[in-house]
Amino acid sequence: MQLLMLKGDIKDRIEKIRKFYLRNKRMPSYSEAASLFGFRSKNAAYKLIGKLKDLGLVSSDEKGKLLPGDLNNPVKLLGSISAGFPSPAEEELQDTMSLDEYLINNPTSTYLLKVEGDSMIDAGIHPGDLVLVDKSVVPKTGDIVIAQVDDEWTLKYFEKKGRAVYLRPANKKYPLIKPKQELIIGGVVIANVRKYK
Amino acid sequence: MSENTNSYPLTLSSYPKAIIHVDCDAFFTSCEAAVKPSLKGKPLITGKERGIVSCASYEAKGVGVKRGMRLFEVEKICPGCVILPSDYETYSLYSQRMFSILRRFTPEVEEYSIDEAFCDLTGLRRVYHCSYEKIALKIKEAIEKELDFTVSVGLSISKSLAKICSKKDKPSGFTCVPGYKLHQFLKEVSLVEVCGFGPNSVALLNKRGVKSVYDFVNKPQEFASKVLGKIGRELYLELKGMAIYEVIKDEVEHKYLSISKTKTFMPPSEERDFVKAHLFRNMESAFIKLRRHKQSVKKITVFLKKQDFSSYGLEAELNRHSSSTMDFTDIVEELFNKIYKEKILYRATGVILSKLANEGHDERTLFDDILKIEKLKSLSRAADRLNNKFGKHTLHLGSTEFLKTRNSSIHPRSNVSERKLELLKGENFRKRLNIPLLRLK
Repeated sequence: MQLLMLKGDIKDRIEKIRKFYLRNKRMPSYSEAASLFGFRSKNAAYKLIGKLKDLGLVSSDEKGKLLPGDLNNPVKLLGSISAGFPSPAEEELQDTMSLDEYLINNPTSTYLLKVEGDSMIDAGIHPGDLVLVDKSVVPKTGDIVIAQVDDEWTLKYFEKKGRAVYLRPANKKYPLIKPKQELIIGGVVIANVRKYK
Repeated sequence: MSENTNSYPLTLSSYPKAIIHVDCDAFFTSCEAAVKPSLKGKPLITGKERGIVSCASYEAKGVGVKRGMRLFEVEKICPGCVILPSDYETYSLYSQRMFSILRRFTPEVEEYSIDEAFCDLTGLRRVYHCSYEKIALKIKEAIEKELDFTVSVGLSISKSLAKICSKKDKPSGFTCVPGYKLHQFLKEVSLVEVCGFGPNSVALLNKRGVKSVYDFVNKPQEFASKVLGKIGRELYLELKGMAIYEVIKDEVEHKYLSISKTKTFMPPSEERDFVKAHLFRNMESAFIKLRRHKQSVKKITVFLKKQDFSSYGLEAELNRHSSSTMDFTDIVEELFNKIYKEKILYRATGVILSKLANEGHDERTLFDDILKIEKLKSLSRAADRLNNKFGKHTLHLGSTEFLKTRNSSIHPRSNVSERKLELLKGENFRKRLNIPLLRLK
């Protein structure tokens, strides 16, 4: 059962029953409950109390008179509830993400690539590293991209000056690449993973 | 209704329903070229491990390579063709991605096959502030950009029509047929293009003077029912623009009507134990899948495929449903002995499980040995647990031990996908990262 429904009104009504019980040292009758909740009919009160019974907040004796249940424990408002106590850990874990979610922004357009060569070593990308490449991102100056230049695939910094595009290596041993014929951007590097063990 | 009046619109509305059919172009080879761009534009086929073409790229199709063709024929008519072993793992990853892209646009997505989907776009114009054609185009562009291969999209007012549309202009086709253009479109569609009309239906319709889909929809509805029965009536309405078939959103828990497992071995073999071992391995795999989907089975079919591609099979039925492999081992053994013949080369074996039910609804007869049934059931469960932990088929039937006698030929390196051979750190032959790995070199 979803406890989210219980927010607002119903929470107030639980509070009203609790106060009635504290004041009178007994539970209300259905007609008293109806007037407590501001209902015209006893039936409406009966239905609402049925819900509270399901939640274990009230119960009834063999004659049908109401007995207090777990009224003094305030209801925990979590996303959802099953039988038993919700553990505080669950509550907190809703705000965490997996390493996958952390590393990947667009799951349908992200690919793995094993790095070969040392042309990006000064950017901290070593041969054997595993980079995550997103095909749906439009590259900006300073992004690291995979690109096909004159039939050759390469991993470089992307630089745009006016209408010209350059590919800059992060290693002094390699020259700046100025594409002569064709340049295809295969995607933008969004993360680098290096597993040691 | 104005039947027989030439060129009279079948309907005046544009899109009473907007249904698209998305069909990947040469899916398996497209995935291969997407992870390895150097393969783009080259004649390319997959299916090396089976000895026949599973999928051919458009470049290979262009010179006459067809699905099911044997590899030596391919080498003859298309020298230089790149022949790759299938990498179903990568294909499945791409397939999943395509469906998730579609679900970004609409929740109503039907996974029709690994590379085909139907989507219902009805009502989405308001969300995207554009026409259905534009939405369909956006979907096509998103898939092509993110997955790096082309798809063909058909948009029309029923599933059957959408499917005809997507086939119209392959590869990378984009065909939209609103209701008021339907009568013109159908004149260009031959009966064989309709999904559901096989050669026999077409021949039958031809005999009744129906030569095209346009002829067909201009007949009265009773004609369709009379000639082709219920399916005929449904297709008639679909083709006329009334959506009869709904886009079936896939249930969270997929239930199968039948499960089949087939594996081809290269080279073919006549060794009794080896062929039998293959059959039992297929049976084990089928039962693992059965139990994973919490189903049980009553009927089993086994077949052996000979070197000349003819196959022989037999089926048997249990008196109750079961999900235990061991309940069927004796039956399969018996069936195998009946169909196996000495001195014949076999190239594949297969198992089909049918008459499936949900696990737990197993009826028992008075004379069943319930203790034994329960023991076998818990044995299967234990085997599944072990195999999940230590790898598929770690614990297996004794008769499959004979697979090892020729182990080198089950997994010759050249028949295994590159992805499984070049593992990343931390990966193993059994499990790899669930993201496609690009190979740029």
